[in-house]
Amino acid sequence: MQKRSTTIRRHREDEAAARFTTDRRRRALRARRLRRGGLALALTAPAVLAYVVFVIRPIAMTVQYSFYKWDGITPSTWAGLSNYVAILHNPELSGSIVNAFTLILFFSFVPVALGLFTANAIRGFATSRLAVVARTVLFLPQIIPLVAAGIMWSWQLSTDGVVNQVFRLLGLGRLARPWLGDFGTALPAVGVIGAWVLFGLCMLLLLAGMTKIDPSLYEAARVDGAGPVREFFSITLPSLRQEVVVCLTVTIIAALASFDIVYIATQGGPGNRTLVPGLEIYYLAFFQRQVGSASALAVVLMLLVLAVVLPLQSLSREGKS
Amino acid sequence: MIVSRREQWLGRVLLVILMAVTVLPFVSLFVTALHPSGTYPAGLSWPATPHWSNFTEAFKAADMGRLLWSSVLIEVGVVPVSLLISTMAGFALGHLRPPGGRALFIGFLLGLTLPFEGIIIPLYYQMRDLGLLNTRWAIILPLIGLYMPFAVFWMRAHFITMPDDISEAARIDGANLWQLFWRIHVPLSMPALSSLAILLFLWSWNQFLLAVVLVSDPLQRTMAGALGAFQGQWGTDIPLLCAGSLLILTPTLVIFLVFQRRFVSALLQGSLKG
Amino acid sequence: MILGTALALAACSAPGGTAGTSTAASTGSATFAGGSPTCGTSPVTLSTYIETGFPLPKNLTDEFTKQYPNVTFKIREDQFAVITQNAPRVLVDDPPDLMRLPQVSGLVKDGLLLNLDPYAKAFGWDKWPASQLEQMRVDADGRRGDGPLYAMGLNFSMTGVFYNKDLAATFGMTEAPKTLADLDAALKKAKDAGITPIVQFNGGATGGLAFPLQGLMASYGDASAINSWIYQKSGATIDTPTNLQAAQHLQQWISSGYFASDVNSIDYATMMSRFIDGKSAFIFDGDWESGNLDQKMPGKVGFFLMPPAQAGGKFGAMSAPLTYGISAKAKHADCAAFFLNWVATNQQARTIDVQVGGSHPMGPADAFMPAVDKNTVTAQTLAAGAQIGADNGAMDFIANATGAIYAKSWTPNLQKLVAGQIDAKGLLTAVQADYKTQIGS
Repeated sequence: MQKRSTTIRRHREDEAAARFTTDRRRRALRARRLRRGGLALALTAPAVLAYVVFVIRPIAMTVQYSFYKWDGITPSTWAGLSNYVAILHNPELSGSIVNAFTLILFFSFVPVALGLFTANAIRGFATSRLAVVARTVLFLPQIIPLVAAGIMWSWQLSTDGVVNQVFRLLGLGRLARPWLGDFGTALPAVGVIGAWVLFGLCMLLLLAGMTKIDPSLYEAARVDGAGPVREFFSITLPSLRQEVVVCLTVTIIAALASFDIVYIATQGGPGNRTLVPGLEIYYLAFFQRQVGSASALAVVLMLLVLAVVLPLQSLSREGKS
Repeated sequence: MIVSRREQWLGRVLLVILMAVTVLPFVSLFVTALHPSGTYPAGLSWPATPHWSNFTEAFKAADMGRLLWSSVLIEVGVVPVSLLISTMAGFALGHLRPPGGRALFIGFLLGLTLPFEGIIIPLYYQMRDLGLLNTRWAIILPLIGLYMPFAVFWMRAHFITMPDDISEAARIDGANLWQLFWRIHVPLSMPALSSLAILLFLWSWNQFLLAVVLVSDPLQRTMAGALGAFQGQWGTDIPLLCAGSLLILTPTLVIFLVFQRRFVSALLQGSLKG
Repeated sequence: MILGTALALAACSAPGGTAGTSTAASTGSATFAGGSPTCGTSPVTLSTYIETGFPLPKNLTDEFTKQYPNVTFKIREDQFAVITQNAPRVLVDDPPDLMRLPQVSGLVKDGLLLNLDPYAKAFGWDKWPASQLEQMRVDADGRRGDGPLYAMGLNFSMTGVFYNKDLAATFGMTEAPKTLADLDAALKKAKDAGITPIVQFNGGATGGLAFPLQGLMASYGDASAINSWIYQKSGATIDTPTNLQAAQHLQQWISSGYFASDVNSIDYATMMSRFIDGKSAFIFDGDWESGNLDQKMPGKVGFFLMPPAQAGGKFGAMSAPLTYGISAKAKHADCAAFFLNWVATNQQARTIDVQVGGSHPMGPADAFMPAVDKNTVTAQTLAAGAQIGADNGAMDFIANATGAIYAKSWTPNLQKLVAGQIDAKGLLTAVQADYKTQIGS
């Protein structure tokens, strides 16, 4: 501590002296700053190198591949925009994109809405023992691999699974069905798996945000005679703008880029009903060996994620200012 | 903050229900794992005689010991290097702020939302040309690159809060840039670093896509990739699959329960910044 | 700036090189020094990639190691759907010495499989009944049925209908149906008796309704026309009047509720487990299960070929070798070929083939056959095989027409048929359209 205060004092003196520098010293200073700048850039070099070699270059290659017809083995031929045109015209490809957007409903809106509701309901006892246990339990789905979530749930959602067992217990046996094998329910069922995984994260993020809200705001609202509903919409929700945007961003990326869960639970079936771009890229590139159209779909996927996520960020910035 | 008693009860009930829904799949997995291998147990039912031997059988079938070792090797290859180079970059961009640093930073930001599927195809051919397919390097090297946007972003956010005074003082004491970084700033960054380490550890452990595409031998994969392979091979034997899945989950669960505070706060902060 | 450099790096050349300058995939061909290839005497480890869930390959490799102790097998196992997805990649980048193969034409076109003709000559495979190897021959255009040999069977299997004798007795079916109408009547009786008539896998990536569909196609039409389509003969189409009748018949079975209601979520293992548990009367499956069924439900299972539409008509059945190939880059190709020859000719191996595999071994027509108990399903399936031979009714599997037709066309479209999203005509049109794009590419 002592040493630090003396060094800081010395530094102040140094600064005072610097105010009276001659031209020569100023030039020396600039030279030093430049040298330091060079050294600083050198510090970023390893990270930049890894990033360029394993991210930027592959992105550029994906774009390049997307203009070719290539089987990955024999020479390629130039294909122009035909791979992109195919995405528009081939219902299998365009369908996968529609499916991904449908998944947003389940991966994003359900966890955020349910998270808001739950966090609001329990913020009053956020520090109680129950809430502390809940924090650990609700977080479990976040730390296990998505593959594991897929395995567990495909077993639970099967014909003889727990879900149907519960329905039968409740006397709703006629609702029981093979959830992942039914055209009407397969995609929502995959969505439920995603919602299960992402709910805990959203809830805890929102809860953490709520505990930061100044309690006097609520007291003032109560004095004004606001009920819990008005309180939620006029105080809680506006204060959580940033957290909500974060939840939406994370979960929307998870929905659009989903792969693991679908790969394990349905492989895209029944009848392509749960085919998502990630899985279709994998099939096209490594199984059907249509590297060009797979790459075109990959480019479209990257752009779609940006197109959805970037506008969201400005929403959060408005909230801060 | 006044919350009525009725609301409190409602909240508690809701919380308990949600916890039950969260835990149910784990319970179902466990109970199913105890049924005789090769059968199709109906829903959640306790077997007449619990077949604990499924676990030893799955342990052998999955070659758990070597799987664990493989995942550990991948972690060792990915996490320290990623931490070091992203901290260096974060320090430079957040603290030293060199000319051109802002452009570099925006370059990194662009990669923040990248879905891995977007670049998996070129990565495959890149790894093939390097002769690294089917080796752990095929997972380790791309992961380091793929973590850079987030890791640099994270460390930069940390270093931007560090006061300049500290560095100036150290400089006057004659510290060169590396000493300044290594002796002064890295020790001061331990909380940010450890959270980042947890995140990178977890993401590597659970990485599936790279493992599935780039490495076909389950013994060279991450834990999640190995689990995928285990399902591919034993997906036809439900109790064994459940037992194997539980075994593969156990290390993560144990580590989580031991370090849960750290985990939760790291993940929450991680997503807030990301 | 970064982006610019990266683009410059990437833009150097078109992927895979441009035509002419590239190292076009050279078709590998077996080479060995004089005489018949062997496994030698020094230790050899054959890297082997097999399908999980069937005991036959492991029984064979174990026996082989017993007889040739210098040879061991490093075995990787996956479900067939996974093998199908992995095949092109694995053959290039992690070449196995022996591998269970999906449809071969695409793999051959890309030069991934070893040409086995030199081995065929050295071992005398060319003297076996030609039909055994026909499906594994591929010509220069990637059409199957003719040309060099690129794979070998561990045995050749055949499909038909298995039924639970006890259940059949409860609804009054005492002998195998002779015509399609008989089968329809039996299905209806089962349904009326409250028994699930058919449990068939059709979930996930496995379109198992292709089994009954192809059986029906053979009942209504001609096996050789279906083969032409599978072998990609020019002008062949799946969308023919008799195939439409077959697909409509299948659709009628679906709408009559003859399949388990969750057919779109049943995988192969679930089907077997339910049938063995006595939860359904029929399954459409192959003789590779005969050994298994004889063991799990001894004496309780019957087998019949899909009956013809008219009494006295010819029988047709899918019959295909259990194909194994050698990667063009395999390290121990000679030893792998020696193993394949051993499976077809060694007395012990042939016994395992029949008793464990339940199917007919490959090899010369007059080769050794183990004795089989007449009361077993195995005996019935072997007899049915003879019938198919007499009627010349062997077909390859419609799922083998192209590398991707099963996973990307039959499976999703059959699942749609079950869900009523398309009808019989729609099924055939969709599959034919996919077929055209796939062989056109």
